[in-house]
Amino acid sequence: MTTIQLRARANARANRRRTGSRLGRTGAYVVLVLTALVWLVPLLYLVNTAFKSQDEFLADPTGLASTVSLDSFVQAWQTGGFSTYVLNSIGYVLLSATVMVVLSLLIAFPIARRYIRWSDAWYRLFVISMFLPNALVTQFQLILWLGLYDTRIAYVLLMTAGFGLGPFLITGYLRSVPTDLDEAAGMDGCGYFRYLFTIIAPLAKPVLVTVFIFQAINVWNDIIIATVVLADPARFPISRGLFAFFGTYGNQSAQLAAATLMVAAPLVLLYAALQKHIVAGAIGGALK
Amino acid sequence: MPWVGFVPGIGIFTVFVLGPAIAIAVVSLTNLSGTPNVPWEWVGLDNYRRFFLGQWDDNARVLMRTLQFVLVLSVVQSAIALGIAVLLNGRLRGRTIVRSLVFLPTVLGVVVIALTFSLFFQPNRGPAASIVESFGVSTAFFGDPNISFALVIGVQMWTGMGYAMMILLAGLQTIPGELYEAARCDGAGAWTRFRHVTWPMIAPAITVNTLIAIIGSMQTYQLIYVLTGGRFETSVLALEVFTEAFGGDGSGGGSTRQGYAAALSMLQFFLVLIVSMVALRFLRRREVQL
Repeated sequence: MTTIQLRARANARANRRRTGSRLGRTGAYVVLVLTALVWLVPLLYLVNTAFKSQDEFLADPTGLASTVSLDSFVQAWQTGGFSTYVLNSIGYVLLSATVMVVLSLLIAFPIARRYIRWSDAWYRLFVISMFLPNALVTQFQLILWLGLYDTRIAYVLLMTAGFGLGPFLITGYLRSVPTDLDEAAGMDGCGYFRYLFTIIAPLAKPVLVTVFIFQAINVWNDIIIATVVLADPARFPISRGLFAFFGTYGNQSAQLAAATLMVAAPLVLLYAALQKHIVAGAIGGALK
Repeated sequence: MPWVGFVPGIGIFTVFVLGPAIAIAVVSLTNLSGTPNVPWEWVGLDNYRRFFLGQWDDNARVLMRTLQFVLVLSVVQSAIALGIAVLLNGRLRGRTIVRSLVFLPTVLGVVVIALTFSLFFQPNRGPAASIVESFGVSTAFFGDPNISFALVIGVQMWTGMGYAMMILLAGLQTIPGELYEAARCDGAGAWTRFRHVTWPMIAPAITVNTLIAIIGSMQTYQLIYVLTGGRFETSVLALEVFTEAFGGDGSGGGSTRQGYAAALSMLQFFLVLIVSMVALRFLRRREVQL
């Protein structure tokens, strides 16, 4: 990590010495601004529409919102029943992300330390799992067979069981934690679980936070598993609820924009606050 | 003790992910439906036969679209992402803001993104409509079979560009600055420096990025599902798996053909395998040549 940072710094220094032609620089800025606009304009249009009333939207769909009206937010929240979806999602997110981080740590530590047989095979298993066939059909049948269809527990189980890169990222991180501590703890007769959760977990906090955030984002954004195992809207997570709202009130553009913005807002705030964690976690799997 | 902690996680992974993924091969040989308690029977390879012999014209179009989708989202997207990454690797004011902005869709969900673009491309009302109308053209955008697939690909690129850009940017930042200095001393211009320093040095990052893009784009269907539901000539193989199994409207019941969906899932699995193997060989050979 440090060598990469050092190199990056050296690069920045080298780049600073660079004196591109004036024409080249202007061109670069033009492309930069165009790039920013491509990503910004659709989102700004969403925000602008959300702060209009439906009447104002119909009168002039692309014009700037004349006042900051929260009517569409209030209407969408009430007609769409978003309070249920938000509460559901908060529950699903906390439960699934916590359980997933704990189980991932319990899986990753013995693999990283080779305390169990076939450590390398287990490690590869989690990578291979990304390439397996789409298993929604059999997951659905399994949930039916277990009598868990349309239950919250089925939803959390399927969301959590798709560990994704969790154990993979934590294993990679734990390999950089020195093993001397393990031996010292062993001599003290410190219990395995106590050692893992009081000594190792705090040391691995950055990667655990990253995995937690990723799973939280995953659950907040999911519609597929929710569509497959949940039928009753009272149990829908928020993105599935937003999709249902789109199905029913799709022609109410202002309310739809407001609802979409409400679902996106927590993610944008989280991203603004924890961008480094999120970027590192996202590309961490790819760089290993 | 390590096993006691290891087993619960591996247990639910095996039962709810690994087992079902393997069982897909078995289910693909049955006529299982999505309706509970309906009897099913073994049908051998009928599901596979139906795909290739049943409505082959329709299925061939889906396969062609799948390949187009993968090709654009791996090659074109990587090329644009490399351009943006090179731009943002230079010393430009505002580059961190642009970087954050391009990466933002990575955390946004498919519903949020799809609804944002549904509004933006709303026929008659949205900003895109007023732009094309000023040229005297009128189109239903996502509802127009002639352009909806291109738009879907565009939205998918908008979503995935930030991720590809970050991988390539990380690759660019590992290139030692001295190499550029040396090239400059030899009188190399911007293009020559890119061609003979950046391009060979970035090859491993391009390999990783392209493979991730190929696998990702062959497995993704969520965005298309929300944008068009696969109508207007936009369906790809991964979406067919989902709509055959659970219905286009997402109600789950009705005349869903889960045995057939499982067979499609297997075909998709082999397609991913073949395409990524071919791509890996090609990319590795290119890396060696440079």
